[in-house]
Amino acid sequence: MKNIEFTLNGFPMLVYVDPSLRLLDVLRNTLGLTGTKEGCDIGECGACTVLLNGKAVNSCLVLIGQVENQNVLTVEGLSSHGSLHPLQQKFLEYGAVQCGFCTPGMLLSAYALLQENPHPSEDEIKDAIAGNLCRCTGYKPIIDAITAYSR
Amino acid sequence: MRTKVEFIRAETINQALQLLADNNKNTRILAGGTDIITGMRMKSKRFANIDLLLDINSINDLKGIRLLEDSVTIGSNVTFSEILENKIIQDKLPLLIQSASGIGNLQIRNRATVVGNFVNNAPCADSVPALLVYNAKLRIESLKGAREIALQDFLVKAYKTQIAPDELVTDIQIPLANDFCGTFYKLGRRQSVAISRISLAVLAKLSNHKIDEIRIASGAVTPIGKRFDDLEEFAIGKNAGKELFIELAQKMAQQILDVTGLRWSGFHKIPVLQQALYQLLLTTIEL
Ligand code: FES
Ligand code: FES
Repeated sequence: MKNIEFTLNGFPMLVYVDPSLRLLDVLRNTLGLTGTKEGCDIGECGACTVLLNGKAVNSCLVLIGQVENQNVLTVEGLSSHGSLHPLQQKFLEYGAVQCGFCTPGMLLSAYALLQENPHPSEDEIKDAIAGNLCRCTGYKPIIDAITAYSR
Repeated sequence: MRTKVEFIRAETINQALQLLADNNKNTRILAGGTDIITGMRMKSKRFANIDLLLDINSINDLKGIRLLEDSVTIGSNVTFSEILENKIIQDKLPLLIQSASGIGNLQIRNRATVVGNFVNNAPCADSVPALLVYNAKLRIESLKGAREIALQDFLVKAYKTQIAPDELVTDIQIPLANDFCGTFYKLGRRQSVAISRISLAVLAKLSNHKIDEIRIASGAVTPIGKRFDDLEEFAIGKNAGKELFIELAQKMAQQILDVTGLRWSGFHKIPVLQQALYQLLLTTIEL
């Protein structure tokens, strides 16, 4: 067990955990932040996507010890003061959320892209969310929502 | 539940080497973790009985891509995303860009390292054929000292390399191949997260339409990434044309058949492979 400090959603965070636990487990079980979803467990579905120093990563493939002194953003950090982030609004508006299981990961992949590239092309959007599987929407509404936000 | 594994994040190369030298522990170096963490999760035999995961991500000396006079050095912390965004690699090592862009998906490329890709030596390590035709060399350190080894010699067989338990690969050195032209080809099953089925890399230097030097490597289709030395020799001095390309394609398919001993997928792969190599040679060497 070890004290691990990192920045979570803009705030300093300290956890006392086994450093070989996965970031995903610490977020969900230790911290109760269940917005980040667990899907495949092996880096293929993207449901567990969070941003690590601004880059999209699968939190099922990162150990908590590896994020010491790093910066983590989860879907809980997107909204502020109880109101949705405009990107989340667009997801609702365009019907990009059905069962919602892929949504947190999708949002973060899209958010990372938009931070680096505010006006992405459709291909750039597709590449950014290629690691996020959605079994409900057929992707089109998601791509439309991201496009609408970027305009 | 997985059995308890210790985790340490090394801050310097020396600290990492000290830990690796302790042979009372089964220590695994953790870089991107995309292979190890999933492997442990799936209880793969390759990752059984690990006592200590040694994270090397915060070792500054293993970061960075440097252009030297006649080579490019890539530290063992460098991720595929960093490769793809790097100006030096884009300019000097286009085949590495081509092979890296098809790897996994963005989340994977943001974590997975080039060095990790071949230290694990999975048959589907996409970057291997490209690195092989560039004659990549590795620098390996342990408390006993440092050594250099060609990537080709480093790879022994699937999931097996020349690395000793107390050693750390610190970087890859790639000699510049400025007067060569080359192409990378990959045929996967799916668009993204394709575990590659066939990958090939070719690098060639011509003078007066004759082959001065040619380097051919395959990945995925062979048990490990592999160069075709005798084909390369055979081609030297020959006219670069369709006739030669057809001959090379046939010979190579035959060799692959021999090393793979006709796996079930071999029958359909061979014609695909012949065509792929032929097309690849045509694209590389515009007639
Ligand atoms: S749960 Fe992490 S990628 Fe699927
Ligand atoms: S909305 Fe159900 S998986 Fe995407």
